[in-house]
Amino acid sequence: MEFYFALATLFGFRILLGLSAYVVILTGQISMAQAGFYALGAYTAGAATALWGWPIVPAVLLGAIVGAVFGFLVGFPALRVRGLFLVIATLAFTEIVRMVFLNLKYTIRVGDRTIGPAAAEGFRGITYYFENGWSSLQIAGFTWLFVLAVLLAFWLMDRSRAGVVLRAVGEDELAASSVGINLTAAKVSAMTLGGLVAGLAGALYAHYATYLSQEEFGVLLASFAVAYPLIGGTGSVLGPIAGVLFFSLLIDGLRFLGDWRNLLFGVLIVAMMNVRPHGIIDVRLVRRLAALLRPAPKRAYAGD
Amino acid sequence: MKVLARVALFTIIVVGLVAAPLWEPVAAQERVLKVAGVGAMSGVIRGFGINSKAVFDMVVDEINKAGGVRLADGTRAKIVGTFLDERCNAEEGISVVRKLASEDWLVLIGPTCSNVAEPLFGILQRKVGDAGDSGLQFPIFTDTAIKPGLAKISEWAFRNVPHEPTMYNHLFKWLKEKHPNLKTVYGGVETDFAHSNSNWFTSMKNAATAAGFEVLGEEKWLLNDTEFSTQVGKWRRAKPDIIAISSHPFTTCGVLREMKRQGVKPKVMAGLTSTATLETMAGCGPEAEGLIIPTGFAPVTPEAKRVADIVAKQYKGNVDLHSAAVYENMYVLKKVIETSGVEAKPTTLAQDRKRIRDGLAKVTEFDGLLGKIKRLDDRESVKPYVFAVAKNSDWAVLFDPR
Repeated sequence: MEFYFALATLFGFRILLGLSAYVVILTGQISMAQAGFYALGAYTAGAATALWGWPIVPAVLLGAIVGAVFGFLVGFPALRVRGLFLVIATLAFTEIVRMVFLNLKYTIRVGDRTIGPAAAEGFRGITYYFENGWSSLQIAGFTWLFVLAVLLAFWLMDRSRAGVVLRAVGEDELAASSVGINLTAAKVSAMTLGGLVAGLAGALYAHYATYLSQEEFGVLLASFAVAYPLIGGTGSVLGPIAGVLFFSLLIDGLRFLGDWRNLLFGVLIVAMMNVRPHGIIDVRLVRRLAALLRPAPKRAYAGD
Repeated sequence: MKVLARVALFTIIVVGLVAAPLWEPVAAQERVLKVAGVGAMSGVIRGFGINSKAVFDMVVDEINKAGGVRLADGTRAKIVGTFLDERCNAEEGISVVRKLASEDWLVLIGPTCSNVAEPLFGILQRKVGDAGDSGLQFPIFTDTAIKPGLAKISEWAFRNVPHEPTMYNHLFKWLKEKHPNLKTVYGGVETDFAHSNSNWFTSMKNAATAAGFEVLGEEKWLLNDTEFSTQVGKWRRAKPDIIAISSHPFTTCGVLREMKRQGVKPKVMAGLTSTATLETMAGCGPEAEGLIIPTGFAPVTPEAKRVADIVAKQYKGNVDLHSAAVYENMYVLKKVIETSGVEAKPTTLAQDRKRIRDGLAKVTEFDGLLGKIKRLDDRESVKPYVFAVAKNSDWAVLFDPR
């Protein structure tokens, strides 16, 4: 079971990362900054427990808040650009974050160990879980508490006015603004919320991995973050989950193929986008499923 | 319903793909020792993992052909091996190792990359027998990840990799003796890769200074860079006597080609240990002419020659300073298993892993392909080495200090 708990934990970070991109995509924006927020959350929460001796919960929340603050800061300049320009601008942000961590050195000695970000040598010693005797089940449970909380929050948001506003902005900005929707507020809120969730994911990841290296937070991670909801579908919060399952099962399932895995991986993604161009769980599928689950209306008969 | 049917069909296909490699026919009921390998089999530095796998397959076959490994009750067991891809990615490395640890694999050899080894060692129990530490109790014996000082992260971590500070101290001292007229060193470093970065700043640079050279500075680039004109231009203007390049084959070849293009010809060139491979010769043999690298492997003993020949001919791989350690590690493991009471029964998995760990910790010396390898208290090795030089698109031994 150990492995399955670890796998569930891994799925947890990926789902959170996918959800962080999902909320931004709802407003019609593609952000590559999620990897940057993820890195910020990871390094901050890692420093909080390993260097400053914080307990895990406030450390993780601090990671999420730092992600949100940077999401907010990135959200404003991002309003001035859209489409491919936004992709490049947010990718530049992720690279800036990565370069900062490539050069950041802030270490302390704990016994015979050097702990903390050591520039290119990475951040070693984030061992809160193991030092406190957490089992794999506890780590998975802790991670999934946050995953479920975020899923529930997003599910409720999807059904609220806020969700409708975000989708309206994503569908047609002009129409949305013409009915009085504040585009700035919607887009910046989405980016802030995305930053919060990505920061949270990074904070949890840091404690799972015990070691952080800036090279993990580059273009590939940013692409995966966006690919989860795009492949999984943006019809509901279940979309990023489907995307994470799709990618994770392919990554692990095709491992035996060695270098051919990357080729087949690409082919399967292209095939998937042809078969399901709007994602595995798109709006149409969500409506159909909702219709199936809804109790059939009573038929009226003559004489009733 | 058509859409639902498609989704269901797709799910079945994906699950089938995932489950296929997990399915195994009912094996014969003979006792087996399960040893796993992990390395980078894809990505920019896949060459290292591919070579490690080739040596792993060779040595498993060789041990099995010779009758296998003797267990505590006197029966002989065959080694069953598997070698998985970690793609030089920490998340994948952790996932793979957790999977292996949750199954009945006794010990792991690998990984390739230091940035994978660090988190892997981080998820292991730090001190043996610490009941309050829930880290994995799974012995890992690393062949390739070479960044200095990693094994001290956990008492379950062991490494058999060259000790770079010792090798570079000797190299620069030797260069000073051989070429007393050389005064200056200019470095080049691949900064976003833990090994190359730490090697320059903690080994090469210090060694050059200690040997009496003046270090003029260092030029920096990244693992995925393909353009080096600015860095090489600075070398051209500085005219150093020695250029010391701490980067992996891919960018080293790019830099060497750019040096040729700009006509930069230092009196001596020194390189990173991990670049003393045939991959470098295949990529830029002529440009690398004269490049000197200390290496933990060269076919200079009959045994080293024999292993290198078999691996090249039958297993389509190369033995180099990293993959050679797989051969050495497997034979040490065989000896440890035979002397530490390993039973290889499903019920003794945890005890067997502990026995292997304890056995490895007790080893003070063993035979390597170039000679005796000393084990240190921090579970690292001191390995014999030679200075190799690139000559006619091949590696030749320039100096053998053994």
